[in-house]
Amino acid sequence: MTALADAPRSPDTAGTPDPGPVEGLRARRRRRLAVVLTTLAVLLVAVATLALTLGEASLAPGRALAALFGAGDAGDVFVVHRLRLPRIETAVLAGAAFALAGALFQTTLRNPLASPDILGIASGASLGAVWALLVAGLTGLAVSGAAFAGAVTVALLIWLFAWRKGLHSIRFVLVGVGFAYLCSSLLAWLLARADVREAQSALLWTVGSVADVRGAELVTLAVAVAVLGTGVAVASRWQAPLALGDDNARALGVPVDAARVVSLLLAVGLVAVATSFVGPLAFVALVAPAIARRLVDDGGAALTVSVLTGALLVLAADVVGQHLLFGIQAPTGIVTGMIGAPYLLWLLATDGRKSLA
Amino acid sequence: MTATVAPAVGPAGTLVARRTRGRVLLLLLSLAVLALIAVASLTLGVRDIDVATVWQALTAPVAGNVDHDVVLDQRVPRTLIGLAAGAALGLAGTLIQGVTRNPIADPGLLGLNAGASLAVVIAVSLLGVTAPLGFVWFAFVGAAAAAALVFSIGAGQPVKLALVGATVTALITPLITLVLLRDPAAFNTYRFWAVGSLTGRGMETLERLWPFVVVGIVLAGALAHRLSMLSLGDDVARALGQRVGLTRGLTAGAIVLLAGTATALAGPIALVGLAVPHAARRLVGTDYRWIVPLSAVLGPVMLLGADVIGRLVLPHSELEAGVVAAALGAPVLVAVARGKSVAGV
Repeated sequence: MTALADAPRSPDTAGTPDPGPVEGLRARRRRRLAVVLTTLAVLLVAVATLALTLGEASLAPGRALAALFGAGDAGDVFVVHRLRLPRIETAVLAGAAFALAGALFQTTLRNPLASPDILGIASGASLGAVWALLVAGLTGLAVSGAAFAGAVTVALLIWLFAWRKGLHSIRFVLVGVGFAYLCSSLLAWLLARADVREAQSALLWTVGSVADVRGAELVTLAVAVAVLGTGVAVASRWQAPLALGDDNARALGVPVDAARVVSLLLAVGLVAVATSFVGPLAFVALVAPAIARRLVDDGGAALTVSVLTGALLVLAADVVGQHLLFGIQAPTGIVTGMIGAPYLLWLLATDGRKSLA
Repeated sequence: MTATVAPAVGPAGTLVARRTRGRVLLLLLSLAVLALIAVASLTLGVRDIDVATVWQALTAPVAGNVDHDVVLDQRVPRTLIGLAAGAALGLAGTLIQGVTRNPIADPGLLGLNAGASLAVVIAVSLLGVTAPLGFVWFAFVGAAAAAALVFSIGAGQPVKLALVGATVTALITPLITLVLLRDPAAFNTYRFWAVGSLTGRGMETLERLWPFVVVGIVLAGALAHRLSMLSLGDDVARALGQRVGLTRGLTAGAIVLLAGTATALAGPIALVGLAVPHAARRLVGTDYRWIVPLSAVLGPVMLLGADVIGRLVLPHSELEAGVVAAALGAPVLVAVARGKSVAGV
């Protein structure tokens, strides 16, 4: 992947007869984008196949794929369709949603570190869900609803308090950090109040896991992500101009304030939906777009690459957490945090050399 | 010549004197507020005890008197812990903001609390430590390690430092959770520590820890003048004859002492270290020789005040000091973020 990012840019077009500098650049970008997208897609399929084969009943890839299309014996079909496929689908959908939301936050606020984890939106969702589980005694979809409400409420409060003649990026981040602390403090309090068993299962919720989403919930998640994703696709033509700064974007005919509000609303929606079903998967929204930006340096197209990167990260984290972590079954959110945070620290440590935005 | 200069010195001299008098008054006033809060902390609670009975309990306790037992066994320890931890947190925040020249720094934001928490979890779960006294050393080491990591990556860049701290917290939190999910007994010990409270530690912890707080306070007092110079920039401080590296090192040592002790005494309490220095700066200006002592008083005012408020808001129950302190501190962070200075950071 680093090889891709660092690949020399000039010599490819040397043979073509005078394509002009702009066309040459575009062609190179398109080619690189195609290579990156293909690589990510192939990796995604490979990891998904691996996830189909691994488990208590190990299936050979051939048998697993056969069962996927309904062939093979009934046991295999049950294992694949009922146990493993929903988990893979959830991981891909949630990873895509978090990554897309993170990319929107980061380009819209022009801050590579803006993410729902740092802004307190994730802690808001956790607080809502833990409140529903421990205080209100709710279960199932109602918990998801409470998480959704928590995320949206915190996002709106940050918005309200950070708004002062426009939405300043640093101000938004700082107010978000304040809310993150407030929410996690209340969360610790709720956990200390409750019965220790209930508190521990609630703690599990605050980490995030793609294990138990299936049936109607999975369909709801898929539809919501698809609708919001379509919205992002429509709004995405504003992303590249917005990344150039307000004045430049305005000069290019982008309605800056409206574009920012729409983008942030879509991002909050994506985070709220994904979090309400799988919990806050730590740092996916932060890391996936950061990786994507290093693979291709184009504001608009980075959204697609972010989506694939996020899906791949969560799926891989789930496989690692389930099978490869020294015999410990770790929830997905723990592994994404362990992969994501060190990577971000490395980005920050090397920040002096390169601009991240 | 002398005739024209002499009158000019007079008003300037009185101006300085008046400002000093104002600051001394302010310091005395906040000490009086602290005394009031300490009295409130001794008297108020689920069981209200009048001042005369408290005085009697302190001077001539009667064995078997329930009110006296409550005062001596519960109210006095939590009040003293609130005073020590509050002063330590207020000073730690002041030193962090001073040495980083960063208005948004505090021990929680910089990942020190997370480092201390991880160390405590390791102590409880893997090493089987259960006595609060045993946590102390782990809290220190954890806070120091986190401080070293965060400062080495983010030193000198205010916003980045805060985000490095948040990232370290986000790296450590899943590790803590992983241990806690696998060890219900450790989770049960940890969750009461993590919420941040002045109760349940007992006098024993404080008896062992007070020297660290005293050393930290003395260090902070000795460093105040150097921090004032440092706030003018490294170059100016150097030109004034200061060894900047030594100041940074000593300050970092004091920060770890103070923040580590506070976390060991009261758990990871959010935002006290952030809010107190801002309040102090707003009251006495930018001179650290005044900010430091005022922070040492306002810290316990906020923490002990939060504890007292927490006893009053719920009928027949209590909100822990950590929760109330976060609720008081969050608006301060919002106010700082909305202020003009941050936009330029």
